Amino acid sequence: MAAPLTLLLLVAVTVRAALFRSSLSELISERVEVVSPLTAWKRVIEGLALLDLGVSPYSGDVFHETPLTIYLFHFLVDYAEVTFMLADVITAVALYMAVKDYNKQVFRKQKFALEADRYPLDCLELIRSPKEMYYIPLKVAMFYLLNPFTILSCVAKSTCGLNNAIIALFILSTIKGNVLLSAIFLSLATYQSIYPLTLCAPALLYLMQRQYIPVNFRRASFWWFIVQYAFMYLGSLFVIICLSFFLLGSWDYLPSVYGFILSVPDLTPNIGLFWYFFAEMFEHFRLFFLCVFQINVFFYTIPLSIKLKEHPVFLIFMQLAVISIFKSYPTVGDISLYMAFLPVWSHLHRFLRNIFLVSCVLLACSALFPVLWHLWIYAGSANSNFYYAITLLFNVAQILLVSDYFYAFLRREHHLTYGLYLKRKDGSEATLVLK
Amino acid sequence: MKIHHFLSLFSTYFLVDGVNIEDRAGQFFSSGHTNNWAVLVCTSRFWFNYRHVANTLSVYRSVKRLGIPDSHIVLMLADDMACNHRNPKPATVFSHKNMELNVYGDDVEVDYRGYEVTVENFLRILTGRLPPSTPRSKRLLSDDRSNILIYLTGHGGNGFLKFQDSEEISNVELADAFEQMWQKRRYNELLFIIDTCQGASMYERFYSPNLMALASSQVGEDSLSHQPDLAIGVHLMDRYTFYLLEFLEDIHPASKTNMNDLFKVCPKSQCVSTPGHRTDLFLRDPGSVLITDFFGSVRKVELTMETINLTDPIEQLESAESGELQKEMHTYADQLPVSEIIHQKPKQKDWHPPDGFILGLWTLILLVFFQTYGVKHLKHIF
Repeated sequence: MAAPLTLLLLVAVTVRAALFRSSLSELISERVEVVSPLTAWKRVIEGLALLDLGVSPYSGDVFHETPLTIYLFHFLVDYAEVTFMLADVITAVALYMAVKDYNKQVFRKQKFALEADRYPLDCLELIRSPKEMYYIPLKVAMFYLLNPFTILSCVAKSTCGLNNAIIALFILSTIKGNVLLSAIFLSLATYQSIYPLTLCAPALLYLMQRQYIPVNFRRASFWWFIVQYAFMYLGSLFVIICLSFFLLGSWDYLPSVYGFILSVPDLTPNIGLFWYFFAEMFEHFRLFFLCVFQINVFFYTIPLSIKLKEHPVFLIFMQLAVISIFKSYPTVGDISLYMAFLPVWSHLHRFLRNIFLVSCVLLACSALFPVLWHLWIYAGSANSNFYYAITLLFNVAQILLVSDYFYAFLRREHHLTYGLYLKRKDGSEATLVLK
Repeated sequence: MKIHHFLSLFSTYFLVDGVNIEDRAGQFFSSGHTNNWAVLVCTSRFWFNYRHVANTLSVYRSVKRLGIPDSHIVLMLADDMACNHRNPKPATVFSHKNMELNVYGDDVEVDYRGYEVTVENFLRILTGRLPPSTPRSKRLLSDDRSNILIYLTGHGGNGFLKFQDSEEISNVELADAFEQMWQKRRYNELLFIIDTCQGASMYERFYSPNLMALASSQVGEDSLSHQPDLAIGVHLMDRYTFYLLEFLEDIHPASKTNMNDLFKVCPKSQCVSTPGHRTDLFLRDPGSVLITDFFGSVRKVELTMETINLTDPIEQLESAESGELQKEMHTYADQLPVSEIIHQKPKQKDWHPPDGFILGLWTLILLVFFQTYGVKHLKHIF
């Protein structure tokens, strides 16, 4: 599979290089859907320029990247395009390898279950074969690299690409079973934007299952593993934060990076849900709604991990989707990361109910974003309500997509346990509903 | 074609004179200016400030009589006294009581009238930064060979001049505007006359070369008005400009009166205030500067019958006497060595991450690398 992958990488790099050289790159790097105040390349350059002038880059509300990003781009600012293309390539290769390993494990588990006769006889058509699973890793890499959202994000030189690379490496190291690397990459991802913290739960679940530690609150080994992982995670986070202090010699970056993510002071329109709400609300409710919105991101972790404790990789997918929908400054780069996982669950297509509606809405909204932006900002004939309507619709479509896949996944699991043709107690045909 | 004409004029003169015209050619170019401009500004409105409009119009009259055309005069009057409904003699502005002299006349061309007289417009005229739609009559289209007369009158104080009863121009702004004019080569020499209370404060801050300034009163003194006319009911003129007008009425285009006589206009006995002047920034000796260099537009024509060879560079006649400190010849090339100063950009201190940071980071990376890529872990990754 190396040759098709290499070909895919070449095609992707060519497309990105062609777009970098064209005049579209400036146009794209200013689109609010693609860059946010956290990830904009313009702000990175501004911060580095401030640093060259002897001023802390965190003074003023310009620069919201972490000090490690400063260190990285201090040396790579002239090769920025190559850096971002490399980040995309690393993400794709990491996802490829991760999905390949995951497929192996899925197949192995399925084989054990078949030999143990745990599947009812009529759901044999739901069993997956290696032949159908052969091209999935390549499709995952293709979905990531050739997704227009990813290409836009790379051409805009949004640092979301770097964040995606770190999360992909985290997924790779988790699936390979390396506890230390998984903790380190997760702490790097959390260090850059706080939300990957929720990926702790699926990582823990997966690693414990891989090491055959039973996921049971009463077992000592369960808590011991959690302590180990937490120690590695928190320890590396602490080390990275202290190291960042030594870069500039001050703790300025903490309010600038984390305070900015959590308290959402910048209300530039983006494809998220925060800006419109916080532009409209009264000041004395601001803290309340801030807490509500931020808790909303973290809230789904526990229920989902209880429901999906046998399937941590699907949980990772759901968590990534929840993060990219509900985070404070989402961009299309975040969306492309979880959409890359969709081929892994292509076997669920027969249970998906809303996929036509969702894909139409997503396409229409993606096309309408620049149109309504133009109408609002330049033509003056629309207002922010129009743009927010499209934002809402886009997010609703994403939520519908994710919940549809959730339904299909759980339904398949149900069928694998109870048979494909479900009957009610009186023998008539029954359907499954997600409540 | 023109140079032939020139040469023939020179040659005609020479047949008449017989002196070596080439020596005189230097003197011919000595004053350095080829055209004259005037910017005359009255900054006050309301009927009781009739005298400021009369001041400005009387200087306008003199300047026009001595030859500066309307196209080279920018006249700014903040209020209309001639057609003011309190004027018992409409369409007239008198400068002498008993209505002896109507300075309004038949051919007054006011360029900026009423509310157009603002500090911004005044500074824009001086610096030339006017919108492209401004007509030529409202522009000061001077060049580096122009002598400009600037006359301001109105109500003022220590360091400021009041415009329209609502805003002020400060002496610093004025000095900077003149410096901008010097930088943009918008004047050859500039004569600045101001008739307000404490007018000397307005020229205190000048720092550009070739400026000569006169004011009607020193700091702490008020400029007083001259005579009221009982029929019109207001004071008609200010004292300084009244005596200035009387002085200028005796000047004709060929007169050789120089600036030293202008400094003697309106002594304390007549003006009650002490007029002041400033010549330290001026290149030439004020005694050699003719009144008509600024107030008139005298064309330099000399008739000669001889042919003259103008290919050699004409040397300027040095006016310095022996023993006197040689004044620096201010030309545009000798300005402040700005080009050397500009190159002194703040040294770009390239920021480098501290060594401790780099050391710590790479140590950690190496540690993690060896922890995971130790031989026994290798097969887990690949």
